[in-house]
Amino acid sequence: MGDPLTQVNALATSEAPKKEVSTGAKVLAWMADNGIFVLTAVLIAVAVIGVEGFASLQNIADVFHRAAPIGIVAVGMTFVVISGNYLDLSVVAQVATSAVILIAVSNEYGYVPAILAAMVAAAVFGIVNGVAVGYFKANAVIVTLSTTYIGLGLLRFFSGGSIFFGPYESPLASFGAGKLGPVPYSALVLVAMTVLLGLLLSRTNFGFTVRSFGVNERATRLGGTNTGLVIIGAFLVTAFSAMIAGFVLAAFSNTAVSSMSTGYDFRALAAIIVGGTSVFGGKGSVPRTLLGVVFVSVLTNVLVLLNISFGYQQMALGFLIATAVSIDALARRAGKK
Amino acid sequence: MSQTQTIQLGTRTTGLWSKLKVTIARRTEGRGVALLSAVLIGVLLTEQTVFTAYSVTLSRIALVGLVALGLTVVILMGELDLSVASTLALAGVVTASIPDLGLGILAGLAVGVVVGLVNAFLVAVIGINSFIATLGMLFFLRGLALVISNEAPIKLNNVEAGIAFGQPLLGPITPRILVFILVFIGLQIFIARIRVGREFLAVGGNRQAARDAGIPVKRRIFTGFIISGVVAAGAGVMNTLERTAADPIAGSTVLLASFAAAIIGGNYLKGGRGSVVGTLIGAASLGIIQVALTLAAVQVPIQQIFIGLLLLVAVTTDPNNLRAVISSIRTLRTGRGKVVEPATSNRSTSS
Repeated sequence: MGDPLTQVNALATSEAPKKEVSTGAKVLAWMADNGIFVLTAVLIAVAVIGVEGFASLQNIADVFHRAAPIGIVAVGMTFVVISGNYLDLSVVAQVATSAVILIAVSNEYGYVPAILAAMVAAAVFGIVNGVAVGYFKANAVIVTLSTTYIGLGLLRFFSGGSIFFGPYESPLASFGAGKLGPVPYSALVLVAMTVLLGLLLSRTNFGFTVRSFGVNERATRLGGTNTGLVIIGAFLVTAFSAMIAGFVLAAFSNTAVSSMSTGYDFRALAAIIVGGTSVFGGKGSVPRTLLGVVFVSVLTNVLVLLNISFGYQQMALGFLIATAVSIDALARRAGKK
Repeated sequence: MSQTQTIQLGTRTTGLWSKLKVTIARRTEGRGVALLSAVLIGVLLTEQTVFTAYSVTLSRIALVGLVALGLTVVILMGELDLSVASTLALAGVVTASIPDLGLGILAGLAVGVVVGLVNAFLVAVIGINSFIATLGMLFFLRGLALVISNEAPIKLNNVEAGIAFGQPLLGPITPRILVFILVFIGLQIFIARIRVGREFLAVGGNRQAARDAGIPVKRRIFTGFIISGVVAAGAGVMNTLERTAADPIAGSTVLLASFAAAIIGGNYLKGGRGSVVGTLIGAASLGIIQVALTLAAVQVPIQQIFIGLLLLVAVTTDPNNLRAVISSIRTLRTGRGKVVEPATSNRSTSS
């Protein structure tokens, strides 16, 4: 049988009058689909040969250790992007909230209430974003921009902007520093989340609806799907991934502060888009996002090893997003002609 | 005469009242006016200092509103410019890093033109969604500002000129407020009275129809993004002059406030409906709220929550969206089989 969604696509294209596709369009389409594999391979090859200190086991474990929280956010946010809703800016507030709640509440009451409280916070974030976007049809960028400020404002108000420290010896701290052989636990969490969410997106009814929503919102609605619930679901997946990312981040440093996740929205988006998930919705996958995370993390690591300043790193990521989206847009247009 | 008009408009009652009702129904500023009246009444009752210290309030409105005015032009076309925040920072940094003040100001404004050109190129020529294109630019330009400034604030060379810039010219009118008023009048005339400006609304309302009517859509998009870039850059230059220093990470709160002003003012994010006057009303409400909250010694996080909530409510209660929500609730209640027309009724209301 194959994937039902590709069958629908195949049906749609077979009805359209067939035209000669130019070689330029073919190249663009190939780049949009497979560019990330080549890019990652080239980047890693160059880094191994040209950059001193990259190819050590210590450094590579460190890359994955640092990549884990952003990667977990990115694999979750893939759902929102594939559903055609651009992105969830409020992950910045979500990650910080869950990290602060985990450490602050567990210091007082233990881990179970802390995790429950963080889950409630994540559910609130996901439902507010999802209802505003799914039922009120509001623009996702503006909605999540406002929930970012509401969330960070609440967090700063209740935490007083202070830094929370976990106890020196705790299960959380030992998890954050722990390793399985050379692999840090946080990287294992990233891989587990990728497998779990990958299966959710590609093998379940929910994942199918999210993808079909990104392809054609109106058709999905007329097909009898409660589209509002699907959008809430996509934002909830993002919110719970951001929560787990917050846990990993809190374990990593054994501290939590409201400003600890600045820039996560953007880096996660960069990873998703570079991985080949389309901002136009419908196209993409969770494993691709993982590849994008590897690329972005290795690139950041190389820039750090080469002593290149933070400003240039931001410029590189901004340029990368613009280029990847441009290739996708041009490939789409060339394919339509 | 009134009879024939009312027949044309298809309303039930006749006379002046119905005409007034039609006029009100056509305006988009309703929510902005409601919020502004509520804010004014609330402030009158609790914190009169806002009015006695009106020079502070005015300069706050000018600070919040200037970027929003430029943004309005882009929103009317159904696009969005998230890069205004870093355009502001970058223009400030460029102005401060050039020793000659006149040249620096010119270079700062030129930053706005270049940013507008790049944004419009990505949106109109390559065909990227403007949210993503300008988000990429937002971070790229912030990086550039950090690189140019070496990740530290830059002091303005000519401090005297900066201090002079902060002094009132006439009554409470500082140069910043004067610029704000001039930009408002200019854009209002441009959008409401001049043909090129009115075509922006057509581009936002129905792009294909605008193209068929012979409007050069791409050129209008370029003009719009350049306007919003230059206005944001101007705000950055003025910030630098007033503070006699440029902060490379300035403008992160500007993004929230200016979007809130434009959206509260009734500018529809999908384009085609809205007005510069609405943005002014939105900016005035926000400015007064901010000053009142500050005077009432409310903590900054609470102010953030407040403005975030305002933006969330404003973006979810857009009349067009609400109509869609109500129709979908009706569909749920009556059962899916019976109602066939929600999609078409959506289209007819979004004219």
